[in-house]
Amino acid sequence: MSNNNLKKEEGGGSESFIRKFHAVAVIAAIVAIGFFVYSNTTGDTTKYPFKLGLDLAGGSHLVYEADVSKIAPSEVSDLMNVLRDVIERRVNIFGVSEPVVQVERSSFVSDTIVERLVVELPGVTDVATAVEEIGKTPLLEFKLVDQAALAASEHVATLATDNASSGAQVSNVTVNGEEVGEPFIDTGLTGRYLASAALEFAGGSGGQLSNEPIVSIVFNAEGGDLFETITRDNTGENLAIFLDGEIISSPRINEAIAGGRAIISGGFTPEEARSLAQNLNFGALPVPIELVSTQTVGASLGEEVLNKGVQAGVVGLSLVIIFMMLWYRLPGLIAGISLLGYVVMMLALFKLVPVTLTAAGLAGLVLSLGMAVDANVLVFERMKEEYRSGKGSNEAARVGFSRAWSAIRDGNITSLLSAVILFWFGTSIVKGFALVFGLGVIVSMISALLITRTLLLALPESRLSKKTIFSKLYNSGIKINKLI
Amino acid sequence: MIFVTYRKLFLSIAVAIVLSSVAIIAGLGLNLGIDFTGGSLTESSYDARPEKETVEGSLDTLGLGGYSLRESVDDEGRDGYILRTRDLSEDERVVVSGTLTSVGEGAVVTRFTSIGPVIGQELKDKALWAIVAVSLIIILYVSFAFAGVSYPVGSWIYGGITILALLHDVLVPAAVMALLGYFVGMEADVLFIMALLAVLGYSVNDTIVVFDRVRENLVKFRTEKKTKVIGTDSMEREEITYTLQKPFEEIVGMSVSQSLMRSVNTSMTTLVALLALYFVGGEVTQTFSLVLIAGVIAGTYSSICIANPLLVFIAERKIDKVNE
Repeated sequence: MSNNNLKKEEGGGSESFIRKFHAVAVIAAIVAIGFFVYSNTTGDTTKYPFKLGLDLAGGSHLVYEADVSKIAPSEVSDLMNVLRDVIERRVNIFGVSEPVVQVERSSFVSDTIVERLVVELPGVTDVATAVEEIGKTPLLEFKLVDQAALAASEHVATLATDNASSGAQVSNVTVNGEEVGEPFIDTGLTGRYLASAALEFAGGSGGQLSNEPIVSIVFNAEGGDLFETITRDNTGENLAIFLDGEIISSPRINEAIAGGRAIISGGFTPEEARSLAQNLNFGALPVPIELVSTQTVGASLGEEVLNKGVQAGVVGLSLVIIFMMLWYRLPGLIAGISLLGYVVMMLALFKLVPVTLTAAGLAGLVLSLGMAVDANVLVFERMKEEYRSGKGSNEAARVGFSRAWSAIRDGNITSLLSAVILFWFGTSIVKGFALVFGLGVIVSMISALLITRTLLLALPESRLSKKTIFSKLYNSGIKINKLI
Repeated sequence: MIFVTYRKLFLSIAVAIVLSSVAIIAGLGLNLGIDFTGGSLTESSYDARPEKETVEGSLDTLGLGGYSLRESVDDEGRDGYILRTRDLSEDERVVVSGTLTSVGEGAVVTRFTSIGPVIGQELKDKALWAIVAVSLIIILYVSFAFAGVSYPVGSWIYGGITILALLHDVLVPAAVMALLGYFVGMEADVLFIMALLAVLGYSVNDTIVVFDRVRENLVKFRTEKKTKVIGTDSMEREEITYTLQKPFEEIVGMSVSQSLMRSVNTSMTTLVALLALYFVGGEVTQTFSLVLIAGVIAGTYSSICIANPLLVFIAERKIDKVNE
């Protein structure tokens, strides 16, 4: 330390300039991150919006339990993925923005492994419709294609887009004097008549590419007859295959097909063909599911919870900064700046990771405001001891940091370990909390060791013995050591 | 020094607190919410709240079994009811929300939650496991971090005391929750578990910071003496023995006074943030902040009035044993 002192006195000018430069850089960084958060929150379309949980944004959270008791253990995870795909497709048709559909397996803590499917539908509060939509069986439909109508409707669509900018509207389109009809005509043939479906690879004959993955389907007797009639009457037409209302492929009918066998080929990858075959095979879902938990929060209620949480955060932040300034004076002000740095860094991380914000996460963040200054408090207390013993303010700050380090390190490492374990064990909601908690620990350490330290060391040197107003700004609080 | 000098008093108070907390929790039990027990919660709000008897009258016809209907004011300030029932099926849910919306003007179902009993049990198991695992890892880490000062008390004792303090800090808010559940009907939900987990983190941090000062002072006030000994394998080894220049009691007492302001100030800033959350932060997180306020106060008490006095108490017993 004495060596340090000597050097400082020799080259004091340039070193203090460098320190001031660092301080300016740190403040600039805080402002920049703050601006990033602000500009990505206020705009209508942003690249990094806050991800709000259902309890804040409003919406439905459904948990389904899958009955896998009749399935071989080796197939369970495959089938759960198929289930997820099926449900995801149905949810997408439902028109929900950013739905979440994920497979969750009850952890090793429980005796029996339960496979669950979690469905989150932001903005959907009409849970009855949602449940019905999700629970229904997938619909396989065969429809004849009216080429003229299809071409016309495509043309109309193009016209509509072209004219959209000019405000003109397209209506009453007629082709050859007739009104354009529905391009796809129901045939009455649906998945109800399906006996089985299987993944096959085309043998290279009959106009098929060799080794192309295809799905072969076999109808039951009734379906076979219907299929034969349709193909006989419409040879040369295209027969479109729809799954859940979405067109999958539209093969041409080359000849009347008897025997109730058909092939769906549509440039599938082997995985796609397999999952389609599985979807069709199980008619409905690959595994039966049962709704075990439902949560719905109205959008306006969620917004109110969010607003109050943010208000609490602002009030809490202000109170903590005021407390620190009253107690620690000048260093307290720096702790306040450092805490602002902590908040903007956390918010930026929430956007970038991204962390889904819930009421609990918000409460955790408010709580962490109070705990994040702990490292500052530790340092300032040590610094004050040194300052009172006659050291200069810069020297006192340095010693304060080095003395407080072991406590900061051990305290934060144990907190971090707890966060990791909670993340490991927790259900999804506890995981979110653990993530916020763990990030808070790391960021609060960065803010104390980087922001507070840099700013504190950039302040002009002072000594208690000088008895100026400035020197008193470092001394603070009551001398409790003498009292007890 | 008072905390160490009158350690028996402070430790007795702590034991009394822990025992009464356990008695309260065991006697009253926690009012577990549907997150744990499974069940359904339907919240509805109205332009003007209909008579409770009317609502109950129409609910009675549905055959839901036992249910509880409580008046509520949601965060938007609208009057309404919270209905708690057993775990409802989808069909039952439709009937119930239909009934609730038909009894009053401008009725909206703002919240519906239904949780199967299995999920509730799983949550309970996981929470328990997490707490056990966190405790174990803390003992290990603290023993490791304090390995340098295993005289006069073994470093694992610091870890053990940290866990005892932790137990105290978690029991107190749990007892507060039991009291609130009994008298005001407040329910322990997932947020309660998270508040307890946060208390756990706070408590450990607080105790370790206080012990850190003890560690520093022990190193400062000890003299090292190296002696050469011949081991069993007839190899020569260096054995280091320490003697303290001040009584252990005094060193610990000094450490408590030195770290006192930090303990108080950190709990002040944390409490200030929590009070803001309680008064401004809406109904949803009120239980969370209340449990944490109790936990932070308990945590501050335990780090000052339990951890160090207990350390001296144990050291005393150990030294007595050696002397005998």
